[in-house]
Formats: sequence, structure tokens, C-alpha cells
Amino acid sequence: MRIMNAKIGPAVAKIGEWFDRRLQLAAPIREAAEHPVPRKTASWFYVFGSAALTVFLLQVVTGILLALIYVPSAGQAWSSLQALNHDVALGWFIRAMHGWGSNFMVAIVLIHMVQVFLFGAYKFPRELTWIIGVFLLLMTLGMAFSGQVLRFDQDAYWGLGIGASISSRVPIIGPAAVKLLLGGPIIAGATLSRFFALHVFVIPGMLIAFVGLHLLMVLKLGINEWPMPGRIVKRATYEREYHELTKQDGAPFVPYAIWKDMFFTAFIILAIAACAFYFGPFGPTGQPDPTIIQTAPKPDYFFLWLYALLSLLPPSMETPFLLIAPVLVILALILLPFLSGEGEKSWKRRPIAVLTVLLIAITLGTFTRLAQFAPWSPHMNAWSGDPVPDRFVHGTTALQRQGALVFQFKQCRNCHSLGNTGGQRGPALDSVAVRLTHDQLIRQVIQGGGNMPAYGNNLSPAETTALVAFLETLHPAGQSPARDAARDIALGDSSQKTSGGPRRDKR
Amino acid sequence: MNRFRSLGTAAVLSLLLSACSSTPPGQPQKDAEPVAPSQVMKFTTLYAQNCSGCHGAQGRGGAAIALADPVYLAIVDQASVRKVIANGVHGTTMPGFAESAGGMLTDKQVDAITSGIFSNWVRKGILDGSNPPSYAAKTAANAANGKLAYRTYCASCHGPEGEGGRKGSAITNDSFLALVSDQGLRTIVITGRPELGAPDWRGNVPGKPMTDQEITDVVAWLASRRVQNPGQPYSASNYAQP
Repeated sequence: MRIMNAKIGPAVAKIGEWFDRRLQLAAPIREAAEHPVPRKTASWFYVFGSAALTVFLLQVVTGILLALIYVPSAGQAWSSLQALNHDVALGWFIRAMHGWGSNFMVAIVLIHMVQVFLFGAYKFPRELTWIIGVFLLLMTLGMAFSGQVLRFDQDAYWGLGIGASISSRVPIIGPAAVKLLLGGPIIAGATLSRFFALHVFVIPGMLIAFVGLHLLMVLKLGINEWPMPGRIVKRATYEREYHELTKQDGAPFVPYAIWKDMFFTAFIILAIAACAFYFGPFGPTGQPDPTIIQTAPKPDYFFLWLYALLSLLPPSMETPFLLIAPVLVILALILLPFLSGEGEKSWKRRPIAVLTVLLIAITLGTFTRLAQFAPWSPHMNAWSGDPVPDRFVHGTTALQRQGALVFQFKQCRNCHSLGNTGGQRGPALDSVAVRLTHDQLIRQVIQGGGNMPAYGNNLSPAETTALVAFLETLHPAGQSPARDAARDIALGDSSQKTSGGPRRDKR
Repeated sequence: MNRFRSLGTAAVLSLLLSACSSTPPGQPQKDAEPVAPSQVMKFTTLYAQNCSGCHGAQGRGGAAIALADPVYLAIVDQASVRKVIANGVHGTTMPGFAESAGGMLTDKQVDAITSGIFSNWVRKGILDGSNPPSYAAKTAANAANGKLAYRTYCASCHGPEGEGGRKGSAITNDSFLALVSDQGLRTIVITGRPELGAPDWRGNVPGKPMTDQEITDVVAWLASRRVQNPGQPYSASNYAQP
């Protein structure tokens, strides 16, 4: 063995030499690997960029594997995903890795961005690195959206519909933009082909180019030094100071700093694999069939906040918001390094920066959370699918039970919950009898109000009477229902029994 | 040290084995694919989505009659149940579920629900030897006789005029009568509401089951108490003391 090595070793070295004489890459690679970085930047805060790069490579590999099976045609996309899920060995796992990889990538890119922002790394001379990073974020989101479309299920179909309707709102070029996006006036085979080309060729190609530039600049300009409160960035002196720092207190990137990158990257890959293993691939949900109306499509999690925001905006605000806000946000991100290209880097002395990050994080988190249970949307199946809780049926009169049936049949339940099931569009009615008297209940049912439509035309007097009789039973065990004092005086204490017979009697 | 290492190896190996031997939790199951709503044929899913809101999660305990009541299922036939599911009952809160009646279910799905109700909840031989009344009325009704029958079998709980009593609620309330069909009244007289404490036709007076004719007459009497304009919230009759 050793003899073989002794013979092969020089041979390999010779081949290497032959190539390097022509390529001349060994020296620059070694220089890049061993370039000194400030000692303090070998930190766990500086690992997100390399992790994003690795996840991107993972996406490329799993994406190529998926492309071997996937058929980008409207008729077969859905069934080719079924084949991947069930018939191809480990096909489901590759799908799951790719899906979870995209979730992780969006998350890591965002964390990377927050870290760069809080560490002031976008300041002089790294403005362009930041701007390219902004484009990388947009491309990552573009990959996420186009990837969701390639699943070509119910969510993809309606997601495209929303994407198309957003672009149709652009003045003048709206129709042309829709045509460009969908490959025609409707969502069809051409749409899928377009998004396949985007997801597989156009955006990844740009991503690779931009990632290359991004990395090159990190190498050329050096990694951002650990921000120290009081160390001020000035265009005139920064580069000299940085060089002195790396000279005095520098260490070679390999191996001094890189091991933390590699450790974190390995952890992320394992985490993606574990998620893929335990939670499986995303979708596909139902077939993309616009005739199926019993569907509540939702975007993937990184667009949930947008879904919530668009649902909650008043209609008159939609178009201005959709067309102006993204432009402003992107402009702000691009202008950021020019507006504060110098000065303090440390987050300890930049309270507004910290508050901005917190505000954005809390806003996005809140909207994402809201989107998970969509309280603004009626639950269209609640009336027939959510049982009236037992405690509201037991001990009721025949009329009150008819009222409970009217409550379900007229789909009140789709907006009003009982016992925590049902819609959340209107208030929960578990204790409505405490809030409203008999007369107020009748008025609310018949005339509506406070966002509730009037049901007067949809209910017969008997139905209204039964419904109100049922609503009057909805109060917690220890609390008595609301009473009308005036009626007490006019008709005597026990007068408020309008529902025919004793309420909640014991059988 | 060696022992730790071997223990650790064993732990890792057993973890790996457990992961390999069974199907991974994330692997999609064959039958877990979402199907188009019109293709759902599983009874439990169809029941949970379409029926449980009114008839209770497991076919009982809802505001409407219990479909899992074996007495009810022993009296009614599949064709009648299917007809009600498909077309609903006009004037009541039972909607038609078949597409032909404006609902969302295909004929096959209506069939699946009907047969599922019977195959899941029928208990064979439950009414053996008790000569049950027929599901639908077959003979001519006499409301005057019905009032007498009511006094015998029902008044002790529901009050002498059906205005409600200590054990049973009002059943001659104008709004209630406006929202139930005659067949609905007949079904409840026969089956009772066992989960709410109302007995079936055999238990109203112990040892003396109602006859088919008495049931028909009682329903006729109840139906005769319907009024022209039911559900007037401020009419004087609503303030009558029970």
C-alpha cells in the first residue's frame, strides 16, 4: 500500500502541476482560504451567510434530482408528484428535503440579513455587497413562490390567481404583465412552463451569478469586523483601520474561522433532513381544479404574512398598498447603505435600528400567526360539520332545540363559534345571552349591524322566535342572562319567558 | 470509557434501526392523498362534514334526532332516509344535500351516507316481539281521539295542553310546530329522544305501549294546534304562565 502511495503521490502532483500551470488557480484559492480575518469575527454570529450558500447548493442538488422525474405540464405535474411521493424510491424524501430546504433558506437569508443590519456590515465600503444581498433576498423569495407554483395543486392555482390579479392592478401595463406572467389570459399549461423556466433556469442562473459577486466582494473587501461601540466608520480612514486590524489581530480564515461555519452548516443540513424525515413533503394538496369551490387555499409560510395583510386591508387601500409599498420597501433597503454609510456600527449604540428590526419581526410574526387561523374568513363547513356542543343541547326545550337547528341551518355558525368551534368572523356566542336581552337579540338577528348582515328577509317569524329562544340559553352556568328591567316592571318578574315553556328545564 | 462508548454505539444503532424498520413518519401514505370533494366516499368523513353539525358527532347528542338511535333505524327504511338526505324536508331545517336539490353531494355520496348510517348503527333484533308502529302514518287520523291519547300518554310530562311541564318542555308552542313536519312529530313520538330522557312509544305509560292508531291521532292533534301566523314575538300567548 505504502509503495503504491509512493508511486501514485508524485504522479498526482505532476498532473496537478500540469493543470495549475495552465489554470493558475491554486495560488488565488490558497490566498483566499488563508486570507486573514479579524480574530473576533470567528463567531457564531457570522455563520448564516455560509449556511445560506450551503442550503442553496442543497436546493440545486435536490432540485436536479426532482427535475429528473417532474413533468412540467398542466396535465401531468400533479400525478408526477404523486409518482415521486409513492413510486420512486426516496422520492418523497427528496421532495421533503427540497421543500424544507426552501423554508430554511428563506429563514436563514432573513436571519443573515438581520445580522448584517444589526452589525452595521452594510456600511462603507460594503454598500454594494448589501444591495446585491437585497436582490438575492428577492430572488430567494421568487424561487420560493415559483417553486410553490410548480407543485401545481389547489394552493398553487389560487396563489397564481392572486399573483396575476396583483399584477393586473398595475396601471397601463397591467394586462400585459398578466399575459407575461401567465403566458396567456388564463392559468394553463403555458403558465406552468413559464414558471418551470423561471424556477429552473432564469432565477437560479441569476442567483448563481449574484452569489458569486456577493462572495467575491466579501473576499475583496474582507469580512465585517466585530462592531465595537465607539469605533466609528469614516470613508477616509476605514480601509486603513481595517487593514491594521487584520494585520495586528488577524487569523487565517482556514482553519481558524471556517470550522464554525462548517459545524453550523452541518447542523442546518441535519435539521432539514430531520424535518424532511419526520414531517414529510409539502402537498400536493388537491388537484388544481377551479370548479372545486370547497377549498381554502393558503400560501406557504413565508408568504402567510402577506396573505393576512391583504385580507385585512380595506378594499380602497389594496391597490395603492400593493403597488406602492413593495417599491418603497425595496427602495429603502437599497438606499439604506447610502443613507447611513458611515458612523456607528454597534447595535448597542443604534437603538432605532434595533427597534426597527423588532417592529418588523413582531409585525410579520403577528400577521403570520393571524394567517394560520384566518379569523376574517367564515368557516364555510361549520354549519354542517361542527356539532352544537352537548351542554347547549342538554336540558333545552323543544323550541330551543329547533332554534339550535335554525342556528346551524342558516349558517350562523360559519361566522359565530360555540364551544370554540365554528367561524371567528363574528363574536363567539357562548355567553351572548349575558350581553343582549331578548329584544336586543331579535333586533340583532333581524336587522344585523356591526358588520353582521340583516337576516330579517331570510328568517320566518317562527324561525326567528326559535333562534332567539336558543340564543337566550347561551350563558355560562353561574351567570344569569340579561334582563330588561322595563319589562320586569311592566309585566312582572317572571314575564321574560317568551320562548314557550321553562328555559333549560330539568327533565 | 469503553463501556460508555459501547453503550453510546448501542443507543445510536437502536435509534437508527428504529428509524429504518418502520416507515418514516414523514413518508406520505397512499390513502392520505386529498381527493376532490365530490370523490370523498368514506362514510365517517362525509358524516362529519355534512351531518354532525345538527345530528351530533357520533350520530347522537345533537339538536336534531339521533341517527345512531337503533330504535329509529329499526323503524325507518333506507329509501325514506335516502330521500330525506337527498331532498331535505321542506319547511323544516333539514336541507337537501343532493346536487339535484341544490346541495353539494353527488348521488353516490348520498348513497354512501345512507348505507353508512345503517351499516354502522343498526342493531339487529332490537325491536323483536314489540310490534313496532309503522314509520309513516297508514291510517286516517282523528285529532279528537288524539287529544284523549295525548292526555293518557304525554300530558304527565308535557302538561295537559302541551304547554310544558316539570319534566317535558312545551310542544304545542306555535313556533315549534311551525318548524317540524308531521312526519318529524311522528318520528319523535315513536322513538322519543333517548339521550335527552324522552322515552319511545313503549315507555310513556309503563307496560302500555301506544298503538299505531294512537300515534297517528296524537300527531294529528298536535298538527291541529298549528296557527296561521306563528312566531309573533309580542303576541299575548307568549306571555302565558306555564
